[in-house]
Amino acid sequence: MVRRSHLKTILLFVLAIFGLVWLFSGSKLSGPRPITGKPTVVVVTVFDDKYDNTAYSQHIKDNRIQYAEKHGYGTFIAKAGDYDLAGAPASWSKVVAMRHAITKFPNCKYIWYLDQHALIMSPNSRVEEHVMGTQQLEEMMLKDHSIVPPESIIKTFSHLKAHDVNFVITQDRDGLATTSLVLRNGEWAKFFLDTWFDPMYRSYNFQKAETHALEHIVQWHPTILSKLAIVPQRAINAYSTVDHGAQYKDGDIAVVFSQCSGTDAKSCANEAERYSQRWRAAFGANH
Amino acid sequence: MTFSGSNTGAVTWESARMKSRGVTGYPSFSTQNQGFFTRNMRRISSSLPSFSGKKDTRKWKVRAIIAIILLACYILFYITPLHYYWRRTSWLGGGQKFVIILAANVGGGVMEWKGAREWAIERDSVRNKRKYVARWGYDLEIVDMSTKKRYAHEWRESWEKVDSIRNSFRKYPKAEWIWWLDLNTFIMEPSYSLQSHLFNSLQKHTYRDINEFNPLNLTHPLKANYLDPEALSAVGDGDINSVNLMLSQDCGGFNLGSFFVRRSEWTDQLLDIWWDPVSYEQKHMEWEHKEQSALQQLYTTQPWIRSHTAFLPQRMINSFPIGACNANGNDTRIHYDQNDRDFLVNMAGCEFGRDCWGEMYNFRELSYYLNRNPWERFKEDLVAVIWFKLTGQKVRL
Repeated sequence: MVRRSHLKTILLFVLAIFGLVWLFSGSKLSGPRPITGKPTVVVVTVFDDKYDNTAYSQHIKDNRIQYAEKHGYGTFIAKAGDYDLAGAPASWSKVVAMRHAITKFPNCKYIWYLDQHALIMSPNSRVEEHVMGTQQLEEMMLKDHSIVPPESIIKTFSHLKAHDVNFVITQDRDGLATTSLVLRNGEWAKFFLDTWFDPMYRSYNFQKAETHALEHIVQWHPTILSKLAIVPQRAINAYSTVDHGAQYKDGDIAVVFSQCSGTDAKSCANEAERYSQRWRAAFGANH
Repeated sequence: MTFSGSNTGAVTWESARMKSRGVTGYPSFSTQNQGFFTRNMRRISSSLPSFSGKKDTRKWKVRAIIAIILLACYILFYITPLHYYWRRTSWLGGGQKFVIILAANVGGGVMEWKGAREWAIERDSVRNKRKYVARWGYDLEIVDMSTKKRYAHEWRESWEKVDSIRNSFRKYPKAEWIWWLDLNTFIMEPSYSLQSHLFNSLQKHTYRDINEFNPLNLTHPLKANYLDPEALSAVGDGDINSVNLMLSQDCGGFNLGSFFVRRSEWTDQLLDIWWDPVSYEQKHMEWEHKEQSALQQLYTTQPWIRSHTAFLPQRMINSFPIGACNANGNDTRIHYDQNDRDFLVNMAGCEFGRDCWGEMYNFRELSYYLNRNPWERFKEDLVAVIWFKLTGQKVRL
């Protein structure tokens, strides 16, 4: 009798082990490495080489670092010259810098690329809520909306859900705007960035380089279009002037100096100075 | 003990007994203790194999019955379509997980008319694949590759691969792998199932580091300061489950005459990106092999493609006849060898100055010859030979 009951326990034990092995082997097959979300967001900015080690770039960096520290985010500040673009315009470096940021922060949930000519104005807006929050995003995103208005017949998906969105972008008056965009880290992000960075596009001499290349791939390739959400411009990409798109208002997360150039009043440094007091005050008040 | 006067009717015991036997029994013969069996019954039965009781007899009967039932089941399994459904069902044999796409009517349609030889090639190639999928429970999709005018301004001949793969994934929702085959291919060893030949030990058969055989001399892995360790690794993440595309290389690089793609998000993306008007516009003059060249280009420049692509030794799935890739003579990496019983032969490039139909015919006959069953061997190697010696006539039995 004793031996029989032993047998029973042994059998149960063996069964349990097999069950566990089966469970674990099942979960092992279930796809790519999980992303832990540490840090939740990485803020990416790329500087043209001419701004390297200037007061201007220090100002912008300061802004990024203070924002990131506040929320425990990571920052990824790169130089365009760090990357071999094979002769393509320096603005292409944003694509490869995002890819680089994923390499440096493989566990981040989101990448927020913000142009070098831009300041984060609202210290309390968190990307994962303000942009990628399910409810927020579903309310914001423009469905069945022309990619390049007014003539493009390709439109954003009308039945898209927030959890299907891997890429959030805005439009300005000219079409898609690549000065501020949010990307969800994962296998799709790598596919998307590699595709965008294809040497065939870099050598094609698109009039507006990577921005037109993006318009092209979004309209030609449904696997990209189906993961894309266009949100109102001021959600992440408000401009300092009204000339090319929606203008910044207090409370917007960031301001972009979209057409700044030269050394006069319209230079980037001067534009940034105009906002310097405001963002520092807002950040200081929250300490 | 005698009695006097026995003739006078005196009764003795013996005579009474004899008389009564004559009355009650049959006078001519006796049933008692007469005849061979009655006399020898005991001896015979004791010399038979001895059973130690009734129970054991029953046991043997039961065993015999079980054996007969098993045999009957076995025969039934193989003569009825039952084994087909077994092999097909995804959780048993798993045949439903595989779909073969066969490209038919290449270049036909608007571009040219098919002659008798082209029809014969198509008939043989299709029959070969039909038999194969019927044997193993796979699905076969024959796609019409005749040149279609896809856009008003261009001919996108042979780019239909992408569309047909996509359609087949949609049409066969249980398919996990699609095996693409060009028309000029012949499955030489139909007794190899894809599972036993390849998929049961995928890790062993595939290689992801292209340096193992690198006719294009590509730099691998990619070198770039911004890529993640997986993209910089020669073997991707090394997990066989992350392989979504398996193909072989011939002397000139990638060969898409016979390749596998797995249903996955990655595959959707590849099929979507494969044809792009910007790349096409810049490259279509130099892309001699169209989508094959485009894939090579994608593999060369895109890290996400590299980390999910694996290669198979060419002769696993795509042996060439000696007429193809023969600049350096016979190459054991590339060319069909009947002693090794290669799985499939691809008469690649036979339409350029070689005899497609002749090659197809020869390989068909060779495949039959190599895979004859004992009865066929008996007929052909013995009976027909004897007949030839006796009568001088060749016969086909």
